[in-house]
Amino acid sequence: MAERRDARRGRTAVVVSLASAAFALTGYLWWGNHELPPTPLAEFEAPFVFGRFNVPADNPLTVEAVQLGRRLFYDPRLSGTNALSCATCHVQALAFTDGKRTAIGASGRPLDFNSMSLTNLLWGPQRFFWNGRAASLEAQALQPIEHPDEMDQDLDALLAELETDAQYVVLFERAYGEISQTAVARALASFERTLVSANSKYDQYLRGETKLTAEEEHGRKLFMAHPDIKVSLRGGNCIDCHSQFLTSGFSTAYDGFSNNGLDAEEELGEGLQVTTGDPAHRGMFKVPTLRNVELTAPYMHDGRFATLEEVLAHYDHGIKPSRTLSPLIAEADNRVKGVDQDISLHLTVTEQRDIIAFLRTLTDRDFVANPAFANPFVVSTP
Amino acid sequence: MNGRTKVALGVAALLAVVLALLWYRDVSRPGSLTLEFRARSDGGPLVLNEFAYDNPGGAGRVKVRDFQFFVSNVRLGGAAGQFVEPDSYHLLRFDNAERAFTIQLTGVPRLEYDYLEFLVGVDADANASIRAVGDLDPNGRMAWNWEVGYKFVLFEGGLLVDDVQIPLVYHVGFDASARRVRFDLGTLFADAPDERRMFDVDVMRLFDGETPIDMQALSNVKFDRDDARRIASNFSRLIEYMPPAS
Ligand code: HEC
Ligand code: HEC
Repeated sequence: MAERRDARRGRTAVVVSLASAAFALTGYLWWGNHELPPTPLAEFEAPFVFGRFNVPADNPLTVEAVQLGRRLFYDPRLSGTNALSCATCHVQALAFTDGKRTAIGASGRPLDFNSMSLTNLLWGPQRFFWNGRAASLEAQALQPIEHPDEMDQDLDALLAELETDAQYVVLFERAYGEISQTAVARALASFERTLVSANSKYDQYLRGETKLTAEEEHGRKLFMAHPDIKVSLRGGNCIDCHSQFLTSGFSTAYDGFSNNGLDAEEELGEGLQVTTGDPAHRGMFKVPTLRNVELTAPYMHDGRFATLEEVLAHYDHGIKPSRTLSPLIAEADNRVKGVDQDISLHLTVTEQRDIIAFLRTLTDRDFVANPAFANPFVVSTP
Repeated sequence: MNGRTKVALGVAALLAVVLALLWYRDVSRPGSLTLEFRARSDGGPLVLNEFAYDNPGGAGRVKVRDFQFFVSNVRLGGAAGQFVEPDSYHLLRFDNAERAFTIQLTGVPRLEYDYLEFLVGVDADANASIRAVGDLDPNGRMAWNWEVGYKFVLFEGGLLVDDVQIPLVYHVGFDASARRVRFDLGTLFADAPDERRMFDVDVMRLFDGETPIDMQALSNVKFDRDDARRIASNFSRLIEYMPPAS
């Protein structure tokens, strides 16, 4: 009896050991080959044609963060004088620009730069400002608050001010668990990431819901083509720098920055060189999105052009040569180049007009009227 | 046999199984193959933004400002089996300090392969699609537009002849331009599961084929199919395998 029990116990021991060994090994083999999947984004959609986008892992898009960010964006308490908010220079009706040649902030001194449209910021170059000096939206967000000519607000004073507001205490708590500079930056960045414009006539056309007029379609074709006289292809070469669906600059490395011939060598601004220190980047500026461009006048980093007609005249025959001028602009011509290598697209007046007609299809009335992007402090009255 | 002996035997058997499985896991563990591409011209690392190179078929000095190209459908093949990299679209660029770009193939079964093969360019299916796979991006710099597809090779720069600067623009695409290239890498994974192999990429070879190209006479290539074919005929010379010194 005793022997049989022992034998059974022995067998059981072997079976149990083998089973646990197999279990452990399965785990070992399995671990070696798998990684945990990333957490998917909830409730956030963007058109397929915009392509992939990244939200920083340490600042996931949450309902609470976006709600807080929107409030901060519109709150004049973010400025030293409590007189201006981000929305002073980024007005929704103007696709988050301000209509000024260059922005004017707390000091009343005009800034060097034209305010930039805040649209589809998840795509295109992931460096911010005209010269790319901010490496993320989070890194960008606190700069205008502190800048003496913009909002002129001490950040510690701002945090103290926010802590006295019971509603902010709750909103920060829910979104980030604390009131801090990082949380302010992350909330603003989260709100900005939701500013997606994707219902212009061009989007509707891409979705097959509408047709473009003959002029718009002609303009679209010209926008999307680099001219090549060898195959009788006329083009405005815009797509060389403004991508086909987003119309922004490219997202890879510094490919979304370019010198589009605004200034000759002597007057050339520093541009991207400020950020990279590379002289080959002098005079290169961020290629802006052209979505809602009809609403974002005046144009270029210094607001030098008042109308789209002036912009087209520039690209057609106003290019100023410099060492870092894009070779694509220097080369693009709808006529055989003369010996003097003069730079001009040589578009007809009709062609320029039709490109503008296409640019107007990029206006998204839903975007500029979307209540989710509007001032939360204004109680709308029916 | 008493109970204690049986337990001891059980433990010994268990150890044997564990060791066997560990050994098996090691030999069956897939390998990784790193392909390192280094941009070199004229015997040194690629020089960007300077008039550093001779015009292969004519007068003047050439400045390379931007150079990028697609490599796609990377696979290892041979009698023993093959490995096909999934979503295999790589945009090679060299505007970094090392002038290098690496492609890492992981999960490669450690078999005997006869060759490494890939396409300089993009295959016809992907070229006709706006799906963002691998490095393909319809909103990217290499996209012409959705009706035309991708540039496979992009070279932008300038040519300085008699103090005049001529812009150089070579955007070479179209399905017919893609070239399949093959390299014999010798035995892989003999000693270790992780291997690295080196390749030299010489951008100037695009213009220095059987008949050297005068970059002044052909200062841009875009949509003209004959011109595209002239450059594409040199795609297979662009990349050279540099076997490890033995
Ligand atoms: C005084 C006007 C003004 C105020 C106030 C202001 N901005 Fe701006 N914003 C600008 C200008 C001008 C630029 C371009 C500046 C540059 O490139 O140096 C800009 C650029 C940006 C950009 C970069 C966009 C891009 O595509 O690179 C972001 C993002 C932005 N602002 C967000 C904000 C936020 C958030 C606030 C509030 C905390 C704010 N701005 C307050 C004028 C302003
Ligand atoms: C070589 C690259 C390049 C090409 C080609 C190009 N752009 Fe631009 N575009 C830029 C850059 C860079 C800027 C910003 C320049 C600056 O402000 O310094 C810009 C700015 C603009 C702006 C001003 C937007 C704003 O919000 O201020 C408009 C409008 C515009 N481009 C339209 C076009 C059109 C239309 C074409 C084709 C005819 C075109 N671009 C071709 C690079 C390019």
